[in-house]
Amino acid sequence: MNQEELETIEIELLLEGIYRYYGFDFRNYAVSSIRRRIWHRIRAERLTSISGLQERVLHDARVMEQLLADFSINVTEMFRDPGFFLAFRQKVVPILRDYPFIRIWHAGCSTGQEVYSMAILLHEEGLFDRTRLYATDMNEHVLRRAKTGTFPLDKMQLYTKNYLAAGGTRAFSEYYTVKSDQAIFEPFLGDNIVFAQHNLATDRSFNEFHVIICRNVMIYFDETLQNRVHDLFYDSLCMSGFFGLGNREGVVCTSHANDYEEVDGLEKIYRKVR
Amino acid sequence: MKYKTKLYIGFGAITALMIFLLGIVSSLVTNIHTSVDEIVNDRYKKVEQATIVQNEVNNMTRALTNMLLADNDQQFQEEQNQLKKSRLQVATSLEYLNQHIKLPQGVENLAHMEVAYDNYSQLEKEILEDISAGRVAEASTKITHNAGLMKRELFTAIQNLKQFQEGLLDVAHQRAIESYYFTMKVTIGFVLAGLLLAIGITFWVIRSIGNSLNRITSAISSTEIGPSENLPRIEIITKDEIGEIARAFNQMADSLEKHNKQELEYKEAMQEHNWLKTKVAEITANYQGVQDLAALGQLIITKLSPLVGASYGVFYIKDGQDQQQRLQRKASYAFDGEAVGAEGFAMGEGLVGQCALENRPILLTDVPRHYAQIQSGLGYATPTQVIIMPVEFEGEVLAVIELASLEPFTELHQSLLASVLDTLGAAINSVASNMRIRKLLRESQTLTEELQSQSEELQLQQEELRSINEKLEEQYRNSELKTKELEKVKVDLEEKAKQVQQASQYKSEFLANMSHELRTPLNSLLILAKIMSENKEGNLSQKQVEFAHTIYSAGNDLLHLINDILDLSKVEAGKMSISPTDLSIYEIQAFAERHFRTIAAQKEIQFDIRLAQELPKRIYSDEQRLQQILTNLLSNAFKFTHEGRVTLEVRHAEPEELADHSFMYEVDPVLALSVIDTGIGIPKEKQSIIFEAFQQADGTTSRKYGGTGLGLSISREIAQLLGGCITVNSAEGVGSTFTLYLPAFYLDAKTEEILSLNEAAVGTYLDAAAAPVADEYTKVQDEKGESDSHEESLTDMEESSEVQLAGRKILVVDDDMRNVFALTTALEDRQMNVIFAENGREAIKMMEEHPDTDMVLMDIMMPEMDGYEAMRTIRQMPSYKSLPIIALTAKAMKHDRDKCIEAGASDYISKPVHMDQLFSLMKVWLYKK
Repeated sequence: MNQEELETIEIELLLEGIYRYYGFDFRNYAVSSIRRRIWHRIRAERLTSISGLQERVLHDARVMEQLLADFSINVTEMFRDPGFFLAFRQKVVPILRDYPFIRIWHAGCSTGQEVYSMAILLHEEGLFDRTRLYATDMNEHVLRRAKTGTFPLDKMQLYTKNYLAAGGTRAFSEYYTVKSDQAIFEPFLGDNIVFAQHNLATDRSFNEFHVIICRNVMIYFDETLQNRVHDLFYDSLCMSGFFGLGNREGVVCTSHANDYEEVDGLEKIYRKVR
Repeated sequence: MKYKTKLYIGFGAITALMIFLLGIVSSLVTNIHTSVDEIVNDRYKKVEQATIVQNEVNNMTRALTNMLLADNDQQFQEEQNQLKKSRLQVATSLEYLNQHIKLPQGVENLAHMEVAYDNYSQLEKEILEDISAGRVAEASTKITHNAGLMKRELFTAIQNLKQFQEGLLDVAHQRAIESYYFTMKVTIGFVLAGLLLAIGITFWVIRSIGNSLNRITSAISSTEIGPSENLPRIEIITKDEIGEIARAFNQMADSLEKHNKQELEYKEAMQEHNWLKTKVAEITANYQGVQDLAALGQLIITKLSPLVGASYGVFYIKDGQDQQQRLQRKASYAFDGEAVGAEGFAMGEGLVGQCALENRPILLTDVPRHYAQIQSGLGYATPTQVIIMPVEFEGEVLAVIELASLEPFTELHQSLLASVLDTLGAAINSVASNMRIRKLLRESQTLTEELQSQSEELQLQQEELRSINEKLEEQYRNSELKTKELEKVKVDLEEKAKQVQQASQYKSEFLANMSHELRTPLNSLLILAKIMSENKEGNLSQKQVEFAHTIYSAGNDLLHLINDILDLSKVEAGKMSISPTDLSIYEIQAFAERHFRTIAAQKEIQFDIRLAQELPKRIYSDEQRLQQILTNLLSNAFKFTHEGRVTLEVRHAEPEELADHSFMYEVDPVLALSVIDTGIGIPKEKQSIIFEAFQQADGTTSRKYGGTGLGLSISREIAQLLGGCITVNSAEGVGSTFTLYLPAFYLDAKTEEILSLNEAAVGTYLDAAAAPVADEYTKVQDEKGESDSHEESLTDMEESSEVQLAGRKILVVDDDMRNVFALTTALEDRQMNVIFAENGREAIKMMEEHPDTDMVLMDIMMPEMDGYEAMRTIRQMPSYKSLPIIALTAKAMKHDRDKCIEAGASDYISKPVHMDQLFSLMKVWLYKK
């Protein structure tokens, strides 16, 4: 048996152990990514093997918490991939205007930047008052940060650029005030946002939505879990609802390839047609 | 016999019969006619002539009378004429009679008559002469007398003749009647015979024709026009026309049957063809939407098997490349998984492989028993036929299908199989290529996603790295700030350290003095006790000698205890000095031999010293301290071992052994000196406390084994001083292993410190490069967590990390003085240095004069040079490429704002300017500047 197989076994045992003991299900995450994160934690804990980490993780909840933080890659920006928000503004918003009430699900919202971006966009388009944004993530820690609606100042220059590129119609500075090294966003933006813990790998649908946005989340999942999550989104999306993915993702390789039509192929915005 | 001949014969016979009958009848009638003619013409005429003669004679008599009586001549004359006429008549009649009477009696009678008549005619002539001579009376007498007589005579003769003739007439009549009856009889006989014959012939003819016709009729009438296979046939008995008709009918029936049969066959063929087409189409329609080969195989096998009546089926698909090509079972029908059907075949292996190799179907009839079993819940049976068919596409076999059936496969089934498999090749090819495409697509998608996730992770790491850098910088700043405090503290501490040192010195001195003071009397005590126990003079009792021994050993223990306490206090006070020297492993070995061989011999315990291969010949360490540790460990081992062995093992330490001792991780090489015994062992829970001072595994053991309980703690302390450590591994009742890990090359404290710092630094850099940045991050976090008590200083730090607006140089460019004034006031309130320009051109001039400008607030609508142009110009200056420029615009149109950004503005803010918003904005753009 070579080293690689042994490693695979160790990873599987670790993930199984985490699932059985803590209830977090990472068993269907993309192996290459999870392997990197695991080794990252092993080095950080000054360990030498995955089995060693397993021992630590199962006996020390603090290490588990660290590993959990490692597993959830919270890379996000406001108006991340501005083209997506621009396309959303141009192609989706005109249709949403006809809806009396709009429910949007932001799955894997991380620290909430994109949810606030969407709130700003909808506010500028005059739709925010009749919208409810459901922002979910499996990591409660990042959700707590998201709820504060404050983002680090060092990113604000980038966010401003993104805002402009995403077709912002006003001044970005209208939405925040700076205190210390944090930009605090207008509290009204948080009024229609519901933050909740939700694990795509284990939890079920909780409402029917007009728009579901899940960007760069499923890239960490393997095919099985991707298909499960696609099923979940398909079931949660109302007919003619919109589905937004990260621009490296797509529905083509999933079992629902034929259930969506492209609204914007480049920015990966789809619409449920059957 | 021909029907024509029959008719000829029939009608001919009847005609002949009729003619014959006619002949007979006519001859008979002629006979009768002759008889009647004879009667009428001969007899009757003769009688008639005789009668005429009689009558004429009478007439002549009367005429003679009348002439006698005649008054006149004329009457007379008339009578005379009459007389003459009668005479002529009689003569004629007689003439006739003479001619016709041939018979002798007749002739005789006639002769009598003629004589009578001649007599009469003589008398008459006499009378006439008398009358003519006037003799009337004579004439009258003659007439009355003679004539009468004469006449009677004549009449008698006539009567005789007549009688004779009438007799003949009767005979002729009799004969005629006889002839009539005979004719009648013959005629009736013949007619009856003819009639019977005619009826017979007619019956025969009708019968023979009728029967034949009936047969034909019944045959024809029983013929139903329809798709019947068995038309009635007419048995050909005769060779006549009816026979011909029958033959013709049979021929017609034959051809009709043939036609029907053909039609039926054609129809069946059409039906089969249609069935085939329908089924093929049905199956082909199912190909749609099938996305993988296994599903396609399962579909085919489950659809196809029942269609052809197969009871079990297996579907193999070719897999692999070139030489490794194999036929793998992909799907099955009613297949029980184990008993039948192999997992796969190589090309040419078995019939399945052969079929694929040759691209030719193989049909097995007469399958032997136990070839394969078709199972159901109730039993099992052996199939009668097995068919193995290849599925090809463009000449290449892609799959093989094997079916077994309890019934033989019909041709239809086989052609259905062939047709379906024809289409299947293309389907498999398309599904396979579809699968390949999907797989590639999937792979590319996975790669893309992988790329994205890696990039995100990288981003995350970058961010972490950055934050660590920031934290480090912060810490650096912090430490700089604190350095001074520390300096101060250091001075204080140094002061205190001095005091402490002094105190410690006092303590050490006290201890040293104390031990000296203790040792001196103790030594005297020991020496005296020793002398006493030897009892050289022999004046002590056994008991007293024992007491002296006890005093000696107790004193010895006390001495050891004092030494140990001294050592321990030295170590704890940092007073134990390490004086490393070059020494050889063999010296250690020799030391152990020297000191413990005898003890081993005394206790009858085996003592081994094992040195591993490739040990460094020389090490650099403190020999004395090392010996102290070894002595301690070995004497412990001998103390607690009653039988078995004690082993000293010297070897290289394995890296994994050092995993728990990270401080030794980087040191290389590390020696492991293990003392292994087979003694009483140490319970698990006690293993951690044996290194504590005054502790032994069992509180009671000290009583049994003696010792101060300080040995291990001293050894541990010394080991640490030597840069190593001691571990224990023991099982109660089995033995213990104490291992001293010792760096082969001792580094004194100072060099070590420097080195470890370097290593840490290198480690950090390496880690940073290799990704586990979070190491440091967590370390930082940990430190942060630890320093919770310094919350106050932390908040100070946060305060200091806020973007400082104070002291910044801000250039305000606006031609509206009110605006400039308002801005300047607000900014100066925050201790910012404000410079201003009235238009773009002036602004550029100002910028050249003040290269240390931190930010520009730029109005757009200005005279001379507007904001757009000014910004473009500024951006062209190399040193201001990234200078924050905030555009102040009164326009609300997005287009104008975009123009600002295009012209080089970092951000914009609408007029009238909201001050809080402006300050936030400035903080954003001044961040890190």
